[in-house]
Amino acid sequence: MFLLKYCLPMVLLTAFINPAFNHAGATTLLYFPNGNPLTLESILYGFSAGVMIITTLMWFSSSNRVMTTDKFIYLFGKVIPALSLVLSMSLRFVPKFKSQMQTVTEAQRSIGKDVGNGSLFERTKTAIHIFSIMITWSLENAIETADSMKSRGYGLKGRTAFSIYRFEERDKYALIWLSFCGLFIIAGTLLNAFGFRYFPDIRYAAFDMTTIPFYCVYSALCITPVILNYKEEKKWKISVSEM
Amino acid sequence: MKRIICLILAFVLLMTTTACSGNFTQVNLNEPIAIPENGIVEKSVLDRVKNENAIATFTGSSNDIKYEWTVFGSDINETKDLNLSVVLNKSDKGVKVNFTETKDFGFPALLSIHIKEKWSADSATAFNGGKGVYSVSVTGSKTSILNISVNKIVPEIEILPDETNYTEDTTAENTNPTGNDSSDTTTTNGKDNYLSGVQNSDDRVYSDGTATGKDKYDTDPVPEGKPMPVEPENQEINNKKTYTCTFSVECSTVLNNLSDLDPDKRHLVPSDGVILPPTKVTFYEGESVYDVLQRVCKEKNIHMESSWTPVYNSAYIEGINNLYEFDCGELSGWMYRVNGWYPNYGCSRYQLADGEKVEWRYTCDLGNDVGREGTW
Repeated sequence: MFLLKYCLPMVLLTAFINPAFNHAGATTLLYFPNGNPLTLESILYGFSAGVMIITTLMWFSSSNRVMTTDKFIYLFGKVIPALSLVLSMSLRFVPKFKSQMQTVTEAQRSIGKDVGNGSLFERTKTAIHIFSIMITWSLENAIETADSMKSRGYGLKGRTAFSIYRFEERDKYALIWLSFCGLFIIAGTLLNAFGFRYFPDIRYAAFDMTTIPFYCVYSALCITPVILNYKEEKKWKISVSEM
Repeated sequence: MKRIICLILAFVLLMTTTACSGNFTQVNLNEPIAIPENGIVEKSVLDRVKNENAIATFTGSSNDIKYEWTVFGSDINETKDLNLSVVLNKSDKGVKVNFTETKDFGFPALLSIHIKEKWSADSATAFNGGKGVYSVSVTGSKTSILNISVNKIVPEIEILPDETNYTEDTTAENTNPTGNDSSDTTTTNGKDNYLSGVQNSDDRVYSDGTATGKDKYDTDPVPEGKPMPVEPENQEINNKKTYTCTFSVECSTVLNNLSDLDPDKRHLVPSDGVILPPTKVTFYEGESVYDVLQRVCKEKNIHMESSWTPVYNSAYIEGINNLYEFDCGELSGWMYRVNGWYPNYGCSRYQLADGEKVEWRYTCDLGNDVGREGTW
């Protein structure tokens, strides 16, 4: 759904905008009124740039899901306590702010100060009022969090984290597998197995026995989380049925 | 399990190291290759140039004159051992060239000779017994580079610079001395100083050389006898009157600077550097060089990108044939020349006259290597 609603328009937009500014490329389709050519390469480049932007967005949303703030604190809480606290707080800030905003808006509505009611002036006044409440709240909240962290001994020696992770056997295998894939793909990149260029004409590394292994390893790396999730789900189902 | 993983890791490392070292042992075709002492370039090297569709340069020197061969893999049909060494000797006016190879190469190869002095001519001819056999293009900034496309071997040639024939061309004819009673032209005083010029028979205004200061588009005074710029907004195109001019597009300077060229663009450069050979082109009265370039490129299906530059009130040609500015070093780009003169204003402001010769040339050194005179 997210894909259809935001990603597809984004790809189409970049595919549409790029040729308006980029006229390089060997295949001329037609000419703009100012005499510059519209080229197939620039359209395809815009298309792939859109896909690239979406991929980056997906990476970040995935990493946000996986790297929760408690994991972040666990990893860096001892090395860089101040920075990791600030980072985790600011990462948490947006969703927290959103939910608090909802609460405040509803509370204001219940006393008759609805953002959707009254003249433009009144509505603006209400909105500004809510915003001012939110600013006060967020400042206060930040100080409170800092104070509570301090009172719990954050940053002191010997303090343990809330979540405790141990380096187990399966982590070792995962690490070995990931570094194997990583090294293999880096080697492939150095050997130009993934080479692809758009201008002046589209050329890419031959898809033959010398490059296929690299593509295989890359797709294996990409599919690893899917397999892990699937295995976990299956295990869960089995353990549930056994109970 | 552990053993399998270790084995896989070892295999990967082995593969990467062998693949990397494999690349280093072979001759890198993108770097200039020195011609060996005996002059013989082996068939195997040429085979690689052919199979990889590369552009290889072979360098050598004779009597302290450096030369290089540029060979395009796409031009090679059959390969054999070739003796690429050349004996060069200075003569009174030019350079004597003796080829060591006696048989034809079977494909065109470009010989570039880096002589020590600067020739003012931008073309030359190679003579064999008083007969012209090759035409030679002259490039280079401080010292000249003579470029000959060699297909059939003529054992002994002498290269002599051509006489420039632009002096008796249209521009000179039109500088008739009407400058004294320039009543019908703009006055030469005050801040309109840059407008001083002479009205002429072909409806263009020519500079009389008295102008000082820059015009409002940052253009230095136009040298005496050269046409004044015509602003595109004042352009009057007369569809009824057609003229012809000679149009050409070439980038031979790139062949002397292949090491600076963006590797992705190597295959765009023709082996003789000529993108559009001199072609007779019809145009309407009042059209500018830019108008004609745009039409020619469309007709001949040559890629061209330009951008309007308001500061200079002209279009700027960013790239022709996908060869863009800065593609061959940071001083590279496209320049135009009309009847041997590089106008000091944009191509949208140069109104063409009948029979003019327009050349678009790619420079790798701000125009110094394509015969532009003066400094910026």
